[in-house]
Amino acid sequence: MIGEDLIDRVLRAGEHEADEVEVFYARGQSVGTDIKKGILGTAEESEAWSMAIRTVKDGRIGSSSTSDPDRWKECLDAALASGRLATPQQWGGFPKPAGITSSASTADEDLVVAVEDAAAMVGELLAGAAEHPVEVVGGGASLARTYLMVANTSGVLYGMDRTVASVSLETIREQSTGYEFDASPFRAEIDPRSVGEQAASLAARSLGGRDIETGRYDVVLSPIAAASIIGQVLLPALSGRNVKAGRSFLADKVGEQILDESLSVYDDPFAPGFGSTTWDAEGVPTRRLVFIDQGVLSEFAYDLKTGYRYGERSTGSAVRSGGEGPGIGFHNLFVDGPREKEPGDEPAVWIHDVVGAHTANPFSGDFSVEISNPFWMEGGNFVEPIRTAMFSGNVFEMLTSIGGLGKDTRRVGRLTIPSIRLNNQQIIGK
Amino acid sequence: MPMVDVRYYDIRCVRGEVTQVDIDNGVIESAGTSFFDKAVIRALGPKGWGVLTRDHVDIDSRRDLDTLVEAAARLAAVTEDPLDLADAPRGVLPVPSLAEDPRDVDLEEKTRLLAGIEAAARVPEVVNTRARYTEGIDQVRFLDSSGNEYSYEAVRSGFSVLAIASKNGVMQMGSERDHTTTGFNLRDKQDLGRKAGEVAVSLLDAKIPKGGPRRAVLDPELAGVFTHEAVGHASEGDLVREGASVLGGKIGEVIGCAGLVIVDDPTLHEFGFMPVDAEGVAVERTEIIRDGILTSYIHNRETLAAVGNGIPGHARAEPGAPPIVRMSNTFIENGDATYDEILAECKDGILLIGSRGGQVDPGRGVFQFNAEYGYLVEGGETTDMVRDVSLSGEILSTLHNIVLLGNDRRMSPGYCGKGGQSVPVSDGAPHLLLESATIGGRGE
Repeated sequence: MIGEDLIDRVLRAGEHEADEVEVFYARGQSVGTDIKKGILGTAEESEAWSMAIRTVKDGRIGSSSTSDPDRWKECLDAALASGRLATPQQWGGFPKPAGITSSASTADEDLVVAVEDAAAMVGELLAGAAEHPVEVVGGGASLARTYLMVANTSGVLYGMDRTVASVSLETIREQSTGYEFDASPFRAEIDPRSVGEQAASLAARSLGGRDIETGRYDVVLSPIAAASIIGQVLLPALSGRNVKAGRSFLADKVGEQILDESLSVYDDPFAPGFGSTTWDAEGVPTRRLVFIDQGVLSEFAYDLKTGYRYGERSTGSAVRSGGEGPGIGFHNLFVDGPREKEPGDEPAVWIHDVVGAHTANPFSGDFSVEISNPFWMEGGNFVEPIRTAMFSGNVFEMLTSIGGLGKDTRRVGRLTIPSIRLNNQQIIGK
Repeated sequence: MPMVDVRYYDIRCVRGEVTQVDIDNGVIESAGTSFFDKAVIRALGPKGWGVLTRDHVDIDSRRDLDTLVEAAARLAAVTEDPLDLADAPRGVLPVPSLAEDPRDVDLEEKTRLLAGIEAAARVPEVVNTRARYTEGIDQVRFLDSSGNEYSYEAVRSGFSVLAIASKNGVMQMGSERDHTTTGFNLRDKQDLGRKAGEVAVSLLDAKIPKGGPRRAVLDPELAGVFTHEAVGHASEGDLVREGASVLGGKIGEVIGCAGLVIVDDPTLHEFGFMPVDAEGVAVERTEIIRDGILTSYIHNRETLAAVGNGIPGHARAEPGAPPIVRMSNTFIENGDATYDEILAECKDGILLIGSRGGQVDPGRGVFQFNAEYGYLVEGGETTDMVRDVSLSGEILSTLHNIVLLGNDRRMSPGYCGKGGQSVPVSDGAPHLLLESATIGGRGE
C-alpha cells in the first residue's frame, strides 16, 4: 500500500479529527555517475519515497512528513499535534478540483533512468574535456524521474511526472580552475561533450591571468554570475510572505520603476523547465506571473497561507523542497528584455562566476564577492584572463541602469537569464 | 551467495525525527515533528563503489541485505577507477550525556521558550523578528562485511534568531544562533535574541567600508570560518587525491606563520562531534598544521590509501547520502596575545565580527567570507561601525599573513555544505591579526 490507497486512507483518517487534510506524496528514482581521477569512479542509484501531511482545524495549520510508509499514522498524529500549537489564522480552505485546461511539459518520456546512460554521458564529458590540456578533477552525470501527487479532502487529486538530466565537470590546469554544467528535464537538450569542452576551455584560458587595479570598470555578468547574485537578493524580495513580514526591500514599491526599463522578471510555469506545472504544491492552478514589467514592479508571489492571512489571493506559487512544508517560490523564473546591444561589444570585464554569492545581504542588496574566471573582453571576445579580484555593489542599485542583455540566455537552476552588462562597477584588486 | 565481485560492503541506516518550531513576528507558523528512515548500501567492486540509497530498509533481514548488496555490486561493475581501502583503527566513543533530554520537554514548552527569545529581539526600530528551533534525534546503525557493527544515538538541539531593523529605506539584519550536542538548548537564551535586535538597529547607522588591502582583526567566530574555508576544505583527502587542492604535495612545507596550529577534532563535544565516522573508523584529533608546517590531511579509508600523509576517521554523511571526507570541529589553537595587544598592534585597520558564511575554490586556492559587521580601527582603538564587509584571500599566502594569535579561542556551531550534503560542524579560533587582507566593500 504505497500510493493512492495510502493517500486515501490518510485523508479519511485525518478527516475525523480535522476540518481539512492534505497529502503531498513523492516517489522517485535516480542514478548518478561520478568522475574520480578523470575516469568513472562511483555509480549510484537511489529510490526515495516521502509523504507530507497538512491538517487544518479552526484555522490552525499542522504539518508533518515521513519517509516510512509504516509510520503514516504517527505522521498524521504529529501533524494534528503540531496544529494544536500553531497560531490560528484566517483560512478559506484548500482548493477544490479546478478544470485545468492549460498544459505544461514536465517530463521527458524518453528519459530512461539507467546507469549505462549516465556512464555514457560521463564518457562524452571526458571526450569534450580532452580537447584542452587540463586535468579533470570532478564532475558526473545524473538522470532522475519523480512522480509527485497532491490530494486533499476537497477532492483534489493531481499527479505528474518530472524528469531531470544533468551533467557537470570540474577541471584544473596548475592553479586555474574551470567548472561547467547543464541540466534539463529533457535528456536530448543536454550535450555533455560541449559541457566538458567548455569546462576545460575555462581552466585552460584562465591560466596566467594578470592582476587588476582597484577601480571602477564596465562589467558583463555571465548568466551564471547574474543568476547567483540576483537569485540571492531579488527573488526573496518578491515573496509575498517577506513583503508582508517587513523583510522585503520592495514591499512598498508596487507601481514604481525599480529596475532598468529594459528588464522584466516573470514566472512562466507553462514554459519548459524544472518547475513546469499546471498546479502548485497546494493544488492551486498556476498562472503566468509578471513581477516586474519593463522595470516596473507589478505584483508579488503568494501561497494559500500567506494569501488568506493578509487578504491576498494565492498566485499558485507554492513550492515544496525536501521534507519542508510548502512555501512561496517560483516555477520557471525568467529575467528577460529586448536584446538591443550585445553586452560584450564594448570593452568590459567579463565575470563568469562568483565565489560567495550566498553571503550577499538579502535585505539591503549589498554584496562583495570573489570573482571566478574573469577576462578582459573586447568585441565580444575574451582577450586576456584576469588573475583574481573582488566585485562589490548593491543588486537593487546596479539593476536600475544596465548596458545590455546578451543572446546567450541559459537556464541556471529555476532561473532563465542572459548575460547582463553593468557599467561603472566597483572591482577590488589584490 | 555469489559475491566474487564484492571486495567489501557496508550499510548505514539512520532513522530519526526532526522537530522544528518556526515563529515569525510573534506568530507560531509551525511547530511539529517529522520522521525519516534512510539507508545507504555501498559495495566495492573490482574497481570502484556502487552505492544504493533507500528509504526504510530492514537491516536485520539477511535476505534484504543480500539483495541490496548484489544491486550495489551491479552498479559497481560500471566503474573504472581502481581504489583500495586502507586499514584503520576501529572503535566507538561514548556520546555526551544529555544535561536535559529534549524529548523530556514537551513541544508547548519549547514553543514558549523560543517565543521568549524571539520577543527579546523586538527592540525599537526592529520591524521583523523570526526564530527557529531545530532538534534532531538520529538513531544510527552500521555494519560491514569485515564484521564491524555499531549503533549510537545523536541528539542535537538549537535555535537561530533573526532581527530586521528598518529606517528611512535602509534595512539591516542581526542574527544569532546556538546549537549543541549536549542536551536541550533553549533555556535562558533571551540575551541572544536581544543581541540580534540590537545589532540590526546599530547597523542602520553603520558605514559602508572602502574595499582594498587592509590590516584586519578577525573575531573568534569569523576567524573560525576563515580556518574552515582557507585551510579545512583544502586539507580534505578527496580533494587532494583528485588534484583539486592547492595543498596537494605540500606536506612538510611551511605554509603559515610560526606557532600556527590548526586542528580538526571530531572527538570534542562540540556541534561537529561524532562518536565514530560514517565508515566505522575510530575518530581522533588531527593536526593539519603544526607550527606553520602542513603535517596531515584529513582522510577516509580510500583517500588514506591513495594519498597517505594523514589520519582517517573523517568520513561523514548526511542521512541517506554516501560518506565523503568532511571536517568536524575545526580550529586554530590559542596563541598568547591578548585582545588589547592585538588591537594595539593593528593600529589602523578593521575589526571584523561574526559570520554570514563563506566559500572556497580549493583548486584555485581562493576563498571569500563575509562578516556580520565590524569596526574601523584607528590608533589601536575601535571607532565607526561598518557593515556589509567581506574578506577574500589566497590559501597559500594568507596563513603567512597572520601576525598575532590571541589567547581567547571560542567555537561556533554551524552547517557545512559539500557535494550536496549538509552536516553539522563547529569552527573556532582566537582573535587573529592579519597583515594585508583584501577587504571587499562598496564604499568609495
